[in-house]
Amino acid sequence: MAHVSNTRRTTSRFALGDVLAVAGLGLAAAVVIGARARRPSVRAKTVPAAPEAALAARRVRDGAAILGASVLLDSAMEHYRGRFHNAAMYLAPATAAISIAAALAEPRRERLETPLRIGHALALTVGFAGLGFHVYNVAKRPGGFSWNNLFYAAPLGAPGALVLSGLLGLASEAPTGLGRERHRDDEHWTERYGEEGRFLAAVAGASLLAETAEVWLLHFRGAFHNPAMYLPVSLPPAAAASLLAQAIAPRRGSRAFARLSLRATAVLGFAGTGFHIYGVQRNMGGWRNWHQNALAGPPTPAPISFTGLALAGLAALDLIDAAGKPNR
Amino acid sequence: MTRPVGAASHGAEVRPRAQGGRAPDVFSRDGTVAMREFRDSDAVDFAIVGTGCGGGVLAAKLAEAGFSVVALDAGPFWRPLADFASDEREQDKLYWLDERVSGGEDAIELGSNNSGRCIGGTTVHFQMVSLRFRPEWFKARTKLGYGFDWPVDWRTMWRYYAEVENACKISGPISYPWGPPRGRYPYRAHEVNAAGLVLARGAEALGVAWAPTPLCTVSAPHGKSPPCVYRGLCKIGCSTNAKQSVLIAFIPRALAAGAEMRDLAMVGRVETDGNGRATGVHYHRSGEWRFQRARNVVVSGYSIETPRLLLNSASPQHPDGLANSSGAVGRYLMVHSNHAVWGEFDEEIRWYKGPPSMACCEHWNYVDDHPTKDFFGGYSFMSQGPLPTDFATSMVTNSGVFGMDLRRRMANYNRMAGLKIVGETQPQAENRVTLADEADEFGIPRAHVAFSYCDNDKRLYRHSLTFMRRMLAAAGGRNIFETESTAHLMGGCRMGLSPDDSVTDADGRTWDVPNLFVCDGSLMPTASGVNPAMTIMANSARIADRIKALAAAGDL
Repeated sequence: MAHVSNTRRTTSRFALGDVLAVAGLGLAAAVVIGARARRPSVRAKTVPAAPEAALAARRVRDGAAILGASVLLDSAMEHYRGRFHNAAMYLAPATAAISIAAALAEPRRERLETPLRIGHALALTVGFAGLGFHVYNVAKRPGGFSWNNLFYAAPLGAPGALVLSGLLGLASEAPTGLGRERHRDDEHWTERYGEEGRFLAAVAGASLLAETAEVWLLHFRGAFHNPAMYLPVSLPPAAAASLLAQAIAPRRGSRAFARLSLRATAVLGFAGTGFHIYGVQRNMGGWRNWHQNALAGPPTPAPISFTGLALAGLAALDLIDAAGKPNR
Repeated sequence: MTRPVGAASHGAEVRPRAQGGRAPDVFSRDGTVAMREFRDSDAVDFAIVGTGCGGGVLAAKLAEAGFSVVALDAGPFWRPLADFASDEREQDKLYWLDERVSGGEDAIELGSNNSGRCIGGTTVHFQMVSLRFRPEWFKARTKLGYGFDWPVDWRTMWRYYAEVENACKISGPISYPWGPPRGRYPYRAHEVNAAGLVLARGAEALGVAWAPTPLCTVSAPHGKSPPCVYRGLCKIGCSTNAKQSVLIAFIPRALAAGAEMRDLAMVGRVETDGNGRATGVHYHRSGEWRFQRARNVVVSGYSIETPRLLLNSASPQHPDGLANSSGAVGRYLMVHSNHAVWGEFDEEIRWYKGPPSMACCEHWNYVDDHPTKDFFGGYSFMSQGPLPTDFATSMVTNSGVFGMDLRRRMANYNRMAGLKIVGETQPQAENRVTLADEADEFGIPRAHVAFSYCDNDKRLYRHSLTFMRRMLAAAGGRNIFETESTAHLMGGCRMGLSPDDSVTDADGRTWDVPNLFVCDGSLMPTASGVNPAMTIMANSARIADRIKALAAAGDL
């Protein structure tokens, strides 16, 4: 009976406000650091990448940064909800911040290339480790991989967003890396855009499908109680399908639909954020009780990740488009 | 009996709120919604006595079908957001605690576990466990060799279960381990709390199935109801409206469709004319007796008040009480045995968190042949989350612990878990409601309730105690002890196939008085091994459709 006196629950060392403040500062710092490294260097020794390639790479990296921001805020909130009971839980928001800075930075300054690559690889690695932790968290509960545990234990798909952020960061090197070696007198260099674009389309399309699977699980948990909850499980897969179609066989005719569905997916990221803000309001006490409902309601930082993936998909289409154009 | 703390709630208990063309808006703290009103002299299509699983569901469906409906309830019309306190004693105001005389060898305690008194009825304080009958139970006599056959086919009931489960947005598991397929529950099951995981661990250790309990509280927003916040005070009235009680899920529908709700209206007598037909109800409201005329009367007062009202409505044509030519009014009253085992655990459980019964096991409802099964019928059991006063009271009354011993045990409250059965009892003619000699404040004879377990009932709960003891120990429980109590009421005016041994036909229409219906849990011929709320609601939804069909055929 020794434990009788110890029935008081230890409370977290921080309040949600503290966590959000730290996460916000981390996000701001990552953006500032990344943006400083983004400015073009006047002393650049290599030939600047071709404009289409540079623009596409930029868009992919912006997408990766948006994904990173989503992971940073979401994991800070959700891991706070889990009271950071495992120290590894701090890694998710910290790595996301690094991922944001690395994605926003411009890799054409050579001395930055390796650190940025490490940043992306770190996001990829920590994301995969997170998947492992989350799988373990589900598996150890009574019922194992039951629906109840998939719904309420550590979300299996969530660390995947960190993986995708790192993956997009690395993938963004495809156009720039190859572009740097090119010379304006090379008559064939735009043809390589096609391969690079198709590779990116495959990455972005598969990422969209993975993200959709996670959204489906959680919206299914919410019983699709609002018809709008079907949008993010129908629009992004359509965009993903059209992207994958471009990756397999880049046909110009169907590219307009791909572009349209990706733009709609990008807008959906913002609309989803609005819906989730409204969803929090529908909990008992609404936003007046934000310190509980921001955690209990739908995650407000989550939907914007669709915008990030859509940007990467649009960049892929841009590259594929550029492949058909004459050399300048 | 009740000690209100809030001015608002006190007002609801002394002054009717549903009047002047307005009724309380249950989704607000002090708002109202429009309500159609009828005059006493209007012969309404239906006067319904009671507004719970029976009357509340019926009022909504009949009003939506275009009938004129007045539903009367003895209790107040609460606004949960304003009137419900997080205090066990304050919330005693939800129970029917008027004095009743309880007798028999195993006299039952009446109140929190079985009787409600407010608009919405017992569902305002029920524990939201939303299970379906095993199909064979509807033909228990023919198929399983005990009890009494229902005059209804299980497939019909299955459809109406689906209807009311959808109306209440039941949050249940994706796949349910027992019985035939039941379609997908409208909402997903809640996260199982630590008390439920104790049951899960024990079930996995013993090799029997378990499931997250289908619950009548939403796991995602629904209309004006927010999702459950797992405060754990559900049993004493949900103060967020996540719980889909009849007050929340059906009364607003009934009002919107033009039904009138009369709160604080105690019906004392159903009047019949010289032809033996019902003409209306006498009721007491705002300090005076009044008479509401009606073309049809439906009694939905549950297993004690329904027989009491029928017995008190005797007339020269019905000398033994209304609809009692069979002598079955008040008889075959059943309860659920509510025996439990409790144990202490090493880890913190905090069983008060969330709805009280988040995991369930129906194993012994579906096993017929087993060497240890020495009884007819079945039982289910659920994980538990009793509130402190409730649990302390239970320990004092069951084991007599007191003083420092009680204090020491209660200090372990956050590290306890328990399993409690819903155990079937057999319908026995001598378990019955009669009129006592003494009268209540309205001059109506009090109900006398006699109940005794039969040998089969005792074998059943003994079996459950042995099994649950093993399971709790397998889950890591120590210092295991047992308690006993009862929950729920079933029967008292059972429906059947013959006027000789039942009060009503399959439509709830009394055999003796063609324009008098019964629609509540008292119709149940057998008790089953599951909580009765969904079955009563499904049966009421079915009766509503039957009444519509009868009206369409000119047979009302």
